[in-house]
Amino acid sequence: MNELIRRDFPILSRMVDGKPLCYLDNAATSQRPKKVVDAIVRYYLETNANVHRGVYKLSQEATDAFESVRSKVVRFLGAASEREIVFTKGTTEAINLIASAFGESTVGPGDVIAVTRMEHHANFVPWQQLAKRKGARFEIIELTSDLRLDPKEVDRVLALKPKILAVSLLSNVTGVTNPVASLASRFKLVGSTIVVDAAQGIAHGEVEISRLGPIDFLAFSAHKLCGPTGVGVLWGREAVFSRMPPYQVGGNMISHVGDLDSEWNELPHKFEAGTPDIAGVIGLGAAIDYIETQGRTRIQEYEDRITAYVLERIVSIPGLRLLGPKDPHHRAPIFSIAIDGVHAHDLATFLDMRGISVRAGHHCAHPLMLRLGLPATCRASFSFYNTLEEADQLIDALKSAPQFFRRKSS
Amino acid sequence: MNYRDVFGEVLADHHESPRNWGLAVDAEIRENGFNPLCGDKVTLGLKMRDGKLVSCTFEGEGCSICMASASIMTEMVQGQPLDRVSGLIEGFRAKMQGEDRPDVLPSEDSSEDIVALYGIKRFPVRIKCALLPWTTLKKGLETPHA
Repeated sequence: MNELIRRDFPILSRMVDGKPLCYLDNAATSQRPKKVVDAIVRYYLETNANVHRGVYKLSQEATDAFESVRSKVVRFLGAASEREIVFTKGTTEAINLIASAFGESTVGPGDVIAVTRMEHHANFVPWQQLAKRKGARFEIIELTSDLRLDPKEVDRVLALKPKILAVSLLSNVTGVTNPVASLASRFKLVGSTIVVDAAQGIAHGEVEISRLGPIDFLAFSAHKLCGPTGVGVLWGREAVFSRMPPYQVGGNMISHVGDLDSEWNELPHKFEAGTPDIAGVIGLGAAIDYIETQGRTRIQEYEDRITAYVLERIVSIPGLRLLGPKDPHHRAPIFSIAIDGVHAHDLATFLDMRGISVRAGHHCAHPLMLRLGLPATCRASFSFYNTLEEADQLIDALKSAPQFFRRKSS
Repeated sequence: MNYRDVFGEVLADHHESPRNWGLAVDAEIRENGFNPLCGDKVTLGLKMRDGKLVSCTFEGEGCSICMASASIMTEMVQGQPLDRVSGLIEGFRAKMQGEDRPDVLPSEDSSEDIVALYGIKRFPVRIKCALLPWTTLKKGLETPHA
């Protein structure tokens, strides 16, 4: 990757307190290239009309632009058809949709719902609450000491034949990638429905449905992929989608409304009640175009380089604890760190004073943080537009942190 | 440059050697404060007699600003009449949120430790860290007790 890419992102050349922005909070949200913002503006200025409604040309143009993004997502994920792609507000809404429309009608008392210890709240709480409502058992697959899924735990939970397995492609805290394809194959044999949270995974390398094994659902948000906030995608197998009742009811999702009952629109519109975020979806389309122009393989190769580069240097910093695996395999450039005797907030402020934007906190992963016994960590997460110089900036700052926070007594 | 240069000796000292640390055994009210966004936790042990806050002790787990703020607060409110304590809490909240109530809190040039916390306003995202012990104390004072 080269400096030219950075010019596509106007925000990357801004200053923060007189220092160049070093944006390392990409796991929270990515930045957007100008092309994405332009596409949204162009839609509002030139094509704005409601979709699936009007008989006039402008409405047809808006509908075509909107639906062409659905086709783009089909290609991007390697899905079978547009009927498998539902636009949502984001990953969280997508998973709530599954937990509600699929879970409510599938899970009963005594059934098992399984998640992993590394799930984001978005792929944890909906399942925990579904289990609570249904009197089902909620099982958590625990992790090894380097915070990968523990194979013994996988076996234990597999033996319980869960109705649903909800697992992320990649952890937003540790950057660990999960072997989703092999998990899916094994859990499918015991009858599980497999839900994949690709909120982080989608931004790091190729996400192709056919390579993920017999999964049933996959969700991601546009804003982690250089697209706008407020838009996400839920992919689901048509056979599963067609058996599910709607999630929300109202406009757009009906085919016929009588006084006493209604009939639902065909897939995927059955799951898209109300006017969608048309501009947001068009922005997602521009983001996919942008990512594909850069090349997902090329992005992954570059990110692997950053991962290896940072790991090699970060593990040798005295007093610094890196959560998760120290080897670069099956790992994304997301680094959660803790420094002895320094609270994550203090460390984040210290880095911010040097222009480095990182996240401090629990990263919406209370169950994992609780297990680690850490109230908070600092997380630096890279994207393909970050440079090795920025990695050096982070490493140098971390090296000088112990001196900055040195106590009087020591 | 180090922590002391940025946040000052007073904050560093309260963080490293917190005052009134450890909940008093005779505390009658225990009040927990938690900031779910960042994980800062503080527990206050309170005892009131004859309209006064006779004892205010604390424990917690959080960033240096939250812990120093708690330490400074406990020193300041200990032994004070409850309406004075409420005034200080409100005054500190107002101060952090940029409203000036010069009558309630010591002025910027005072030598009292709380002045060290005024500078946190320069770090807007950290204001909630400094406020947590104070909002927890407010909750504690409002707890109905025998």
